[in-house]
Amino acid sequence: MNRLKVLMLGWEFPPIINGGLGIASQGIAKALSSVVDLTMILPKTSANYVLDNVDLIGINSLNLEHLKEEISHSETVIVGTKSVIVPVDLLPYQPVYESEIEIQEEIQEQLNHNFPEINQEDIKSFAGEIYGNDIWEKIDKYAKIATNIAATKEFDVIHAHDWMTFLAGLTIKEKFGKPLVLHIHSLETDRAGIGSRGSVYQLEQYAAQQADAIIAVSQYTASVLVHHYGIDADKITVVHNGIEPISAFKTEKPFPEKLVVFLGRLTGQKGPDYFLETAQKVMLAYPNVRFVIAGTGEKLKALIETGAYKQLGTRLHFTGFSPREKVFEMLSMADVYCMPSVSEPFGLSALEAASFGVPIVISNQAGVSEVLPSALRADFWDVIGMARQIVSLLRDKELSNQKVKEAYKDLEEVSWAFAAEKSVALYEKLLS
Amino acid sequence: MSAINLYFQVHQPFRLKEFSFFHIGRDYEYENHDLNLSVLNKVADKCYIPAGKLLLELLQKHEGKFKLNFSLSGVFLEQIAQFRPDVLEIFKALYQTGYVEFLSETYYHSLAFHYSEQEFDRQVAKHTEALQKYLGATPSKVFRNTELIYSNELAKYLYDKGFEGVLSEGADNVLETRSPNFVYESIASPILVLLRNYKLTDDIAFRFSDKNWKEWPLTVEKYTQFLETEAENGAEVVNLFMDYETLGEHQWEDTGIFTFFTALVDDIVAHSNLHFATSTEVIQQHKSQGTIDAPRSISWADLERDLSAWRSNSLQYEAFNKVYDFEKAVLAKNDENLLHTWGKLQTSDHFYYMSTKQASDGDVHSYFSPYHSPYDAYLYYLNILSDFELRIRG
Repeated sequence: MNRLKVLMLGWEFPPIINGGLGIASQGIAKALSSVVDLTMILPKTSANYVLDNVDLIGINSLNLEHLKEEISHSETVIVGTKSVIVPVDLLPYQPVYESEIEIQEEIQEQLNHNFPEINQEDIKSFAGEIYGNDIWEKIDKYAKIATNIAATKEFDVIHAHDWMTFLAGLTIKEKFGKPLVLHIHSLETDRAGIGSRGSVYQLEQYAAQQADAIIAVSQYTASVLVHHYGIDADKITVVHNGIEPISAFKTEKPFPEKLVVFLGRLTGQKGPDYFLETAQKVMLAYPNVRFVIAGTGEKLKALIETGAYKQLGTRLHFTGFSPREKVFEMLSMADVYCMPSVSEPFGLSALEAASFGVPIVISNQAGVSEVLPSALRADFWDVIGMARQIVSLLRDKELSNQKVKEAYKDLEEVSWAFAAEKSVALYEKLLS
Repeated sequence: MSAINLYFQVHQPFRLKEFSFFHIGRDYEYENHDLNLSVLNKVADKCYIPAGKLLLELLQKHEGKFKLNFSLSGVFLEQIAQFRPDVLEIFKALYQTGYVEFLSETYYHSLAFHYSEQEFDRQVAKHTEALQKYLGATPSKVFRNTELIYSNELAKYLYDKGFEGVLSEGADNVLETRSPNFVYESIASPILVLLRNYKLTDDIAFRFSDKNWKEWPLTVEKYTQFLETEAENGAEVVNLFMDYETLGEHQWEDTGIFTFFTALVDDIVAHSNLHFATSTEVIQQHKSQGTIDAPRSISWADLERDLSAWRSNSLQYEAFNKVYDFEKAVLAKNDENLLHTWGKLQTSDHFYYMSTKQASDGDVHSYFSPYHSPYDAYLYYLNILSDFELRIRG
């Protein structure tokens, strides 16, 4: 049987790792590469990060002349002739970026000869950072360029990761008539609050309405799509993220206290304020403990100040942004890993902590709690409940060991291979 | 006849290194040796050596008509003794002229007075010992607290300890409409207070090379005229209290500061209405013209001229509280090294770097700070305290 051909649209990918998106994109791509023919289009690739059996195309290193050559020889059929119009209000003061456009505007694909025109300037804009103030322009250019690249490829289905690639996904679907699968790793309502209805939300919603299928990384995210985006539940398939095998190790702490670790961006979504409150409560019941907050974000200064105000200065440590080795070093020393996320579609770092044999306490609003059924948990706002769970792990060595063992068992069901399997089943369903 | 009371503060902290969470329990070295040495050498070459030599020349030339005051922090003395003995020799020579008065202060240039009188005493005694040990000098009975921090409480305490005079900032809120150009008495004790004339001092210390200043360029003629005006208005003393680094480091040589200073000293010596005096001479030769009431501490730092440069945000409060919480445990260990480490952690500069003030004060703070941000300063300091705590607990 012929393998399916998948055109995957990504944005973040190693070596660019701002959060889980890059890691998850790599995880699913790697796993899929052994069962499908995969072409992946990214804003940037690096020569150091290749995947076997995956045709990785980085726009930053695209040769425009070759591409135009290939397009002229391509036999790909263009079926769609309409413009893709995404009704989006680009208003100022968006949470994700700042836009200077104050009037209502529609993003419209220019159609010349049924095809978006691209030039060297468009390619150059991907030389630098992939986010930034001109993110909407980048998204537009990405869509045009990806559509051109798609014209030179054979593919059965389009698989688009997160909102930055959705315009490209919609355009390619329109042009080539292939089914579009959206892969939702995070939503604007997670990043900017449940009431967000700005441009990014609108794009996410429109794309979800137009797509043929949606993969959500958790049941939690699926329910957000249903209840806050109005998407039909039948369209959504939950495919939990996997985890790359990690060589875990243990390090002896250079201090006698126990260590409770928080890893994540210091933004509202991750609940670092709740972590601080929880830490204070834990210390009242169990003083022989230290807390470390690893990560940076717009809340860093306020958290440092609050920690000082609560007189936790010698017990609450901030490491700022930490590279992977430092993150692993912290996990290797940790006695408890705490993830009080306010709205977390998945939460890969909890799986990493579990791989390091660290007992976990997570919020019910983190998607990863669905694949770690044994983990202790509480609602993100329930500081007392969270503290209680942490204290029980600190006090009771047996409970802690038991939870670690149970988590290892849970991890056995977590894999990218399984995620790839479910994705392929979805593709087949769409194509039948 | 107005007495010109010139005083220079000399201090260098032991700046701390970027001590991360991962260093806690693993690293005993708190200080950034390379940075401290490079700063010391740089300032020695631009200020301590040339200014010191200039002062010696002027003192010898004027045979007693030129006099001045210094205070040297203990941590500064330690550093020059170890790394720049040539600078130490100059200070010895300055003392030996007999025309230079050395004031008393805390060894660690700290705010210990606000947290522990016992620790304050210990640091003052240690400072006196250090002056003796390194310079063969005895401090006078005039005290100056770290960065001229002054309050009624301090005035009372110092008097009870036998001091006769104390330096203070000539802050408007304690002077009200009065002039700093007189000797005053504290409302809390009979100790005499010498108040900095900040306008005339800062004309030199800050504005000397400021091309946007309406008086720029500040010629000696102009400045001497300023002093004359004060004298004509009945000034008994003009207290010019500044950082020694004004000569060559804050005001570079090419601004003409050394030339200016030389000519100014010559002018004042030759002047019929002005003469130099030391702080002790000033308090012995003048009666108090009124009382100074400073219920809340004042200082010469920042626009507020209070304690806020070191202690106004939660980071600073936490850092102070934690370091002084250790007092009992440190003393109980009876370990000279730990005690000295603890003392050095009290140096005011550490807290100064944690200030989150903005605007012009913020600029001054970040000029002096070796860190990228006050938050970094705080985090590194607290990591160090965390490690120190482990060492005390043994």
